[in-house]
Amino acid sequence: MATDRKLRILLGTRKGTYILEGDAKRKKWKVGAPAHEGSDVYHVVADPRHPGDLYAAVNNGFWGPMIQRSRNWGKKWTEIATPLTPSGKDRQPAFNDEDPTTPVKRPLNNLWHIEPSLASEPKTIYLGADPHLLFRSEDLGSSWEPIPAINEHPGREKWSPGAGGACLHTIIVDPRDANRLYIGLSAVGTFRSEDRGESWVPVNKGVETPFLPEKFPETGQCVHHVSIDAADPDTFYRQDHGGIYVSHDSMSKWVRIGKPLGDDFGFCVTSPTGAPGTAYFVRLDGMARVTGEGHLQVWQWNDRSKKWKKLLKPTDFPGHFGVQREGIASDALDPPGVYVGTTTGQLFWTPDAGKTWDMVPFQFPGIHSVSVSSPPSK
Amino acid sequence: MLEVRLDSWLREFGPRGTEKLDAASVEQLLDALEAKYPRLRFKLRDETGQIRRYVRVFVDGQDVSESTGVGTSLADVRTVDILHSIAGG
Repeated sequence: MATDRKLRILLGTRKGTYILEGDAKRKKWKVGAPAHEGSDVYHVVADPRHPGDLYAAVNNGFWGPMIQRSRNWGKKWTEIATPLTPSGKDRQPAFNDEDPTTPVKRPLNNLWHIEPSLASEPKTIYLGADPHLLFRSEDLGSSWEPIPAINEHPGREKWSPGAGGACLHTIIVDPRDANRLYIGLSAVGTFRSEDRGESWVPVNKGVETPFLPEKFPETGQCVHHVSIDAADPDTFYRQDHGGIYVSHDSMSKWVRIGKPLGDDFGFCVTSPTGAPGTAYFVRLDGMARVTGEGHLQVWQWNDRSKKWKKLLKPTDFPGHFGVQREGIASDALDPPGVYVGTTTGQLFWTPDAGKTWDMVPFQFPGIHSVSVSSPPSK
Repeated sequence: MLEVRLDSWLREFGPRGTEKLDAASVEQLLDALEAKYPRLRFKLRDETGQIRRYVRVFVDGQDVSESTGVGTSLADVRTVDILHSIAGG
């Protein structure tokens, strides 16, 4: 499928997948027909290595989880392989590989995040799933290999789920080195691998767990989402249950930056490719889990000036909005566009790094995830 | 020969309407259906082999989904209905 000049917003919702088409001006959007109607779609993502290829993490309430792929920007979708747990290599074996008479112990629950790897390994894709599972495909999703160092981690018996389940929801590949991976799991925390997933170390130092007796354990943090800085791949921005944090040393230690906001609870974060050194968060009330003070609040962190900027006035979008962990995304243009999808189906966006905002005039089902496929730079 | 009546929603995965099959148990029946329609695999059962939470299997009118489940004998049974349950919102 040829590259085109369109900018696409990809939405995973409670009732299917939606794709909005626009262009670099980011003024008008054409909402396409839904796909996967009736299914919870937790994540939809474009593979920039193969223009036109999209992947969707479809979780059907009746028929279970399945990965669907489109090769033509969402015009047609096809179910592809979905991995088994804990050690199945593809969808063929119905039983435990090691003992065919024993059914596997844990059914695969919801699929959470699909992450295409770097251009240097053009057929590699990662998948995060519930319960606390990580898989890799080397053939664009035709088959999947489990990552045993996570899926059979000796500590996993003590890993707790978050309210959304035992989800592995964040996967980041270091853009300089495909061997260095980062993952985030609820409510376990973040891990880093230097050897393409063969081994992992927990990297949660400095992140508080106000919901546990121990204040700073090695694991047990309820990380909600993490975004990598485009210009400095050692810098990460983290929205945790316990607040907002930044790391400048590949997650080796974290520093809380959210305290000036008062309540720095939230689920989502994005750091735009077109604006390195900044990150955008949607601030929620930590008790109600909706936007505090009765209006949509998007905050911009400037990591150079170390200052926060509130981007919306109380009168802009009044209401109590929920925004989930994949509910914010940014494009790769300069100035960056930022897109926020809510659990009540509104999609807000700014085309100019937060100076002006608007709402797409279409009522979507509750939005689980937002991602963007940006047009190539001229 | 059993008559198996299948949920119309399952058309997405291959089967349409009614099938005639020989099977001694619900497990064998599901195996036979999945062999005929490979895309049904893991839609009615998860990979542990258990019937999915919101799939209902009726054997001569009796819901066995959460009782005898896949182990239900189909001896002397005439009809099996496979439906999705009333759920969701």
